[in-house]
Amino acid sequence: MNKGAMAPDQEQDTPLKSDSMFINLGPQHPSTHGVLRVGLTIDGEMITKAVPDVGYLHRGTSKLAEVRGYHHCVVLTDRWDYVSAMPNNLVFCLAAERLMGLNVPPRGDVLRVLMCELNRIASHLLFFGTYGIDIGAFTPFLYAFREREMILDLFEMVSGARLTYNYIRLGGVMVDVTDEWVAKCREFIEYFKPRLDEYDTLLTYNPIFMARTEKVGLIPPQTAVNWGLSGPNLRGSGVNYDVRKADPYCGYEQYDFEIPLGKTGSCWDRYFCRVSEMRQSVRIVLQALDKLAPGPVMAPGVAKVPKPQPGEAYAHVEGARGDLGIFLVSDGQASPYRMHVKAPSFMNLAILQELLVGNKVSDVIAILGSTDIVLGEVDR
Amino acid sequence: MTQDELYSKLAAELPHLEKAQTQVKDYLTMRLPSADRLLETVRALKERLGFDYLEMVSATDWLGPVKPEGYIRNPNPIVFMAEGATPQSIPTATPNFPYRPMIELVWMLANIPEKIRLVLKLEVPREDAAVPSLCGLFKAADWQEREIYDLMGVAFTGHPNLTKILTPEFLQGHPLRKDYVHVKDRFDE
Amino acid sequence: MSEPAKEKEAVPAATPANVVPAGAAAAPAAAAGTVAPKPAPKAAAKPLPTPVFNERHGKLILNSRYWPTELWKSPWSLPSYRKGALVLFGLIAGILLTGAAVGELSRWADKLYALIAAFVAARHWPAVTTDAVWDLIKILIVLHVVLINGLWAIWWERKISAHIQSRVGPTYAGGWHGWAQTLLDGVKLLLKEDITPTAADKWVHALAPAIVVAPVIIAFAPVTFGKQLAAANLDMGVLYIFAFAGISVIGVIMAGWASGNKYSLLGGLRASAQLVSYELPRGFSIVPVLMFAGSLNLSTIADAQAGYWHGLPRWFIFYPVIGPLAFVIFLIASVAETNRTPFDIPEAESELVSGFHTEYSGMKWSIFFLAEYGYVLLASFLLATFFLGGGASPFAFDHVIPSWIWMLGKAMLMMFTFLWIRWTFPRLRADQLMDFNWKFLLPWSFANIAFAGLFLLFR
Repeated sequence: MNKGAMAPDQEQDTPLKSDSMFINLGPQHPSTHGVLRVGLTIDGEMITKAVPDVGYLHRGTSKLAEVRGYHHCVVLTDRWDYVSAMPNNLVFCLAAERLMGLNVPPRGDVLRVLMCELNRIASHLLFFGTYGIDIGAFTPFLYAFREREMILDLFEMVSGARLTYNYIRLGGVMVDVTDEWVAKCREFIEYFKPRLDEYDTLLTYNPIFMARTEKVGLIPPQTAVNWGLSGPNLRGSGVNYDVRKADPYCGYEQYDFEIPLGKTGSCWDRYFCRVSEMRQSVRIVLQALDKLAPGPVMAPGVAKVPKPQPGEAYAHVEGARGDLGIFLVSDGQASPYRMHVKAPSFMNLAILQELLVGNKVSDVIAILGSTDIVLGEVDR
Repeated sequence: MTQDELYSKLAAELPHLEKAQTQVKDYLTMRLPSADRLLETVRALKERLGFDYLEMVSATDWLGPVKPEGYIRNPNPIVFMAEGATPQSIPTATPNFPYRPMIELVWMLANIPEKIRLVLKLEVPREDAAVPSLCGLFKAADWQEREIYDLMGVAFTGHPNLTKILTPEFLQGHPLRKDYVHVKDRFDE
Repeated sequence: MSEPAKEKEAVPAATPANVVPAGAAAAPAAAAGTVAPKPAPKAAAKPLPTPVFNERHGKLILNSRYWPTELWKSPWSLPSYRKGALVLFGLIAGILLTGAAVGELSRWADKLYALIAAFVAARHWPAVTTDAVWDLIKILIVLHVVLINGLWAIWWERKISAHIQSRVGPTYAGGWHGWAQTLLDGVKLLLKEDITPTAADKWVHALAPAIVVAPVIIAFAPVTFGKQLAAANLDMGVLYIFAFAGISVIGVIMAGWASGNKYSLLGGLRASAQLVSYELPRGFSIVPVLMFAGSLNLSTIADAQAGYWHGLPRWFIFYPVIGPLAFVIFLIASVAETNRTPFDIPEAESELVSGFHTEYSGMKWSIFFLAEYGYVLLASFLLATFFLGGGASPFAFDHVIPSWIWMLGKAMLMMFTFLWIRWTFPRLRADQLMDFNWKFLLPWSFANIAFAGLFLLFR
């Protein structure tokens, strides 16, 4: 044991002597939503130091992409944010299409928007449910999963998979939707709209829930921008930054929707941003269903083994967790020369080392849950 | 603000920045001549031009095609198939492509109210690659720089906690370097 | 049934009322057993071949997937729903009729006592044998109230939580609504390996469950289950119950400390703070009841609520302001005493990984739950006795249904309230919980005593 480690004990000569305790929150803990470890130094129930430790789920997808064709890389993207895989597919395809100069037909774009928004709903539903569990209410979880199952059924109908879809491909989408699917999707939206009000009565305005989250984990706007947060975590602090508006892709500028903003940057604001985003996503889904004009869904002439010209491209989308970006470098070969993923969860998790200090152990869970991280995306 | 306006503004305010040869598609890309002026430039961008959101820190190793020895290749039980799942295709060098023993760092900065982004590039030699850390200006650089240090082996001088973040502590080398060779560890059979 | 025929049944059921005409046209094509052709790519420069990635493409797998959309429109259209309501009605009617047929249990108890006395007298054994045997029978009955309550309450909680959460809960074990689920779980827990962690203090670790569960069984002695139906008719029964119920917290702290786990330690410390704090409003909230009844004897308290005001029973809960306030404070404090959501911070699963019983397994672990449900039942009976008139019938005209049926019914209603609260609310934070206790419950319970005094003064 070195001298530095001994020092805190020796300097305590006051009669009220208290020791701090070190607690490992995770990697096996019900509320870390995956394999995250946070080393907490606590004094009683108060956090004095928090060190998030990630990397337990690192699979090296950037390295793997360098020896795979562009079509194969789409499969890797599914594994980052496995809770909402469609935006992952989309962002890689957007970057690769930018490198290759491909243009997606309008119906393909509408389907991409449709799937991404449905997936945003599914992802926020998962957040809603698990956040309820973090705060101690078990019931919202099953309500949320009831609805999430229906979205997964819709995805299964169209892509055959329920978690890793690989549906959005280079040049468009894998396959067109059927009219039956469109009818089912409308049926789901009709069913889902009243459920959102039900969630508000069940959890959002519950006094205990508000007491637990309202003045906890405050992130001022400047701090949020400085830490590079994105998605509902940034907008919860009142910063109006949404890639769908700031840097539109897939024709998002044609859709009519609003960006819900929080006021104080508390856990409740972040939560409420997500719940409000579900309402906006419902609006976008309905508009996208109306926009579905007949036409091809895949650009003609996508090479089986694409070899784009040497160049660099960056694409980013507003995933369910925030600004998901891909930096793609090509040297003219059949595999990307370099793929860098700018993962929103990774950035949103980094702020915890500052945010957790001074809070109680119960608040750690409330704050950690409100950042809505997916460890698959943090570690990639 | 459009990209042309930004370019003319940059030319007036920060004349040492030059337009990069390879532009990141759809975004204005500027090249820094040397690592010395990085902090000064980024501070000027942040304080004078409102680029207060560090979106991405990335790096590219321009040594050449990646070595297949960097991958774990388990023997395939199906004899007539290729060994292991990875690599699926062995990349080869593109003729006349300017491969060089340099690491190119890429920063992407955003000005949220103006809805404009700027890409900064800087080349450093591969051996003992080091650049100043942006941690003092952007907290967002903290983990991103640790990630680049871990995977690419670029030392960020002035970083408060430059340690490995994603790979386990027993892993030797920096996996995203093109000449990385996998050393067998206790998890290999 | 052949595969196409199955499809024919399935597809129209999947088609909702608001289906678009094109979808209706597509449905028969799918019904014919062919893969639904995707709409031909229109105006494409080069027609792409129809990709067949997946034979089920575009179809919901109806036999295995369940969408609540159709059902939720009119649940009464389902025969099973109607049948369930009928069974529930039949169960309640059956219980009431059985009660009416059996009559007051104290009558049968007196007969049993006379039988034992006659048996003892015939054998010329000393007369004290009668009382000894009789006490033994009473002890066994009270012990089994706690044990069987565990079986019943866990099954009931699982069913109620399931239906609150739009699930169905256990259905297989035992056949009818999974009635044997807890029984079989108990067998499983008995057979499970009993793990004592290396870091644990072995003796304290083993002793803790016993210290948690013993007081609850002992505390049941003066509880009245109906008219003249208590194991011990104690004049200070209320005090006795509160005194014993307070002992369990020692077991919880022992469990938390002896587990050798930091999370358990935190849970144990939280438990000690919480349980000791909530003892106070819990005790003070019933002082008005004691003032009205003028006794600490549970039977006397129940009897004090006999009679009706113009058809409204004279239960303490119906006393203006004082009754409901005392009832709510006692209910909240009882929920907190039993460590249940929203006051379950000592065993908060998502924070402390189950807190003080993280390191327990097998039967030791289940004993904690036995104690928890025992306390729920105890609180339910106390609520029924203090505020809901004990075994008194809510209807002035009813002279048929015996008191034990009413008592049991009221206690079960209270227990349902416990479970209902458990599955509806989120969890409070430790400091909020303390604030709630010291700044809200305790002052109001004091104020309530003053109200009760004024009420008695000016009555």
